[in-house]
Amino acid sequence: MSEQPLLEVKDLVTQFFTQNGIVKAVDGVSYNVKRGETIALVGESGCGKTVSALSILRLIPNPPGKIISGQIMFDGTDLLQLPIERLTDIRGDKIAMIFQEPLTALDPVLTIGRQITEALERHRGLRGQAAMDEAVRLLTQVGIPQPDRRVKDYPHQFSGGMRQRAMIALAISCEPQLILADEPTTVVDVTIQAQLLELIRNITKDLNTALILITHNLGIVARYAHRVYVMYAGHIVEHGSASEIYHQPAHPYTKGLLASVPRLDEPRKTRLQPIEGQPPDLIKPPVGCAFRPRCTIACDACSKMPPVLFAVSPGHYAACNMAKPVTK
Amino acid sequence: MTVAAEPIKTYHSLWSDAFIRLRRNKLAMAGGIIIIIIGLTTLIYPFFTKYDFASQDLNAILKGPSQTHLLGTDELGRDVLTRLIYGARTSLMVGIFTQLIVLSIGLPIGAISGANGGKVDNLLMRVVDVVYAFPDLLLIILLRAILGGSIYMIFLAIGLVSWVGIARLVRGQTLSIKQRDFVTAARVFGGSGGYVTMRHLIPNSLGPIIVAVTFNIPRAIFTEAALTYIGIGVKPPFPSWGAMINDGNKVIFAAPHLVLIPAIAIAILMLSFTFLGDGLRDALDPRLRR
Repeated sequence: MSEQPLLEVKDLVTQFFTQNGIVKAVDGVSYNVKRGETIALVGESGCGKTVSALSILRLIPNPPGKIISGQIMFDGTDLLQLPIERLTDIRGDKIAMIFQEPLTALDPVLTIGRQITEALERHRGLRGQAAMDEAVRLLTQVGIPQPDRRVKDYPHQFSGGMRQRAMIALAISCEPQLILADEPTTVVDVTIQAQLLELIRNITKDLNTALILITHNLGIVARYAHRVYVMYAGHIVEHGSASEIYHQPAHPYTKGLLASVPRLDEPRKTRLQPIEGQPPDLIKPPVGCAFRPRCTIACDACSKMPPVLFAVSPGHYAACNMAKPVTK
Repeated sequence: MTVAAEPIKTYHSLWSDAFIRLRRNKLAMAGGIIIIIIGLTTLIYPFFTKYDFASQDLNAILKGPSQTHLLGTDELGRDVLTRLIYGARTSLMVGIFTQLIVLSIGLPIGAISGANGGKVDNLLMRVVDVVYAFPDLLLIILLRAILGGSIYMIFLAIGLVSWVGIARLVRGQTLSIKQRDFVTAARVFGGSGGYVTMRHLIPNSLGPIIVAVTFNIPRAIFTEAALTYIGIGVKPPFPSWGAMINDGNKVIFAAPHLVLIPAIAIAILMLSFTFLGDGLRDALDPRLRR
């Protein structure tokens, strides 16, 4: 694991300037992805997962959003310093994205084929029939039946699962090195979810593509991600390998998240434990630990001193004043 | 290639979908058919008539409808039907050419404004505000004085005052479409600003633009008629419905049909465009899709 990571995000700060004040959506987040690796960004709605991913491609709507500081090293270049023309060469070619809602992420007035060929024309220089043939091949690869026919269809003629498959075909059209998947399975039902995730996993394996999986579904995380970053209120509060996060969560927020999802390995009588309270206001986050108002084990220090990430065990970090290093 | 299995359902593109819905709307179809009939008549009629819109027959002035003159003659003995049909040509030309001018100014300005936002948007919209705030008629009279009296200059004058509405509409459309995920997606996949505007923003705003243009046509027709009525429009003897009403006005008690016929014609043409526009709006409304 001494290999240079494909993507390294360092101390990223992204803020939104709104009428009510500055929303610190992402406040000093660092994470990295190695080639071919799948990492998960986990957290509840509004904790900065999507913003931290969109920041990679500098697609934060400006105004009101702005990347204040940080470094995003992708394959040796800092994406934040890159002129926009060079960045558009990378977008779609080396880094692609799968959106949460394929219906809104596909242009309703263009056929699926034309949307897939857009990226091929832009980055691969394919034209006309050659591009269309490649689009058909991609649709076949993502398991769309009758691809030569469906390539001429419009997004509203696809079912939800098919649309997301088309979206995946679009994402892999230029064989990117990194795919950002923003809650790719939230809008489809559970059976399709599993199919889509298997598809994404197989494709990333085949192409040796790294994947950033943004989700709030811990079930997905355990099964598909190698490493997990847990986000809360714009900070990474815990990260480590998927199994460590699952079996030895160190941060009370991660513990709370795990207690709030049903598990098959526990007796059914056990009641789910919700995390009490609301996520903090990101305009005026609480002093000290952002999770303190909802934390069951907080002490005085937590209201003064913001916790920093420290190694609980090798490769497993948590940002909690109360967490203790695990001694093996 | 072997023949693939027949699809269970026949699929349509968005535009053919809209056309199917439009065809169900009887009023809109009637409007469209009337417009087509009027258009074809203006093209074909000159080959079948012995009359000319300017030739006078002073032996037969202010006659009512008869065998020789189906809609009678005016105060100079000119055939009213001929003048009416040539007038229709003027009206349709006004309607279409002004909208082409409106589109060629309003669409790019609105799209650039909406797509870029910020300072560019602010500057362009202030220009639009100024033109919008200026009284239309005054501006047209001013432009007529500068541009001279040919019929093409009327198109230009009307076009130059009415592009602001389209510019605002296109700007609003692009602003709202810009927020949608597929635009972010297009940028994720490497599309630059101009490309996204041409490929995604404008095609997605075409529906409302088509509707607005269809509604604008009768307004332009009416403006031309009004201009001609007050004497700064089409120059005689070239026929225009506004000029016909103006001429007929002088002899309204002797020959009321000289006012009534062109007035009815204007009403029918304007209503046809309005019904068609209404139908198009319903047909292209994405909320009614499926």
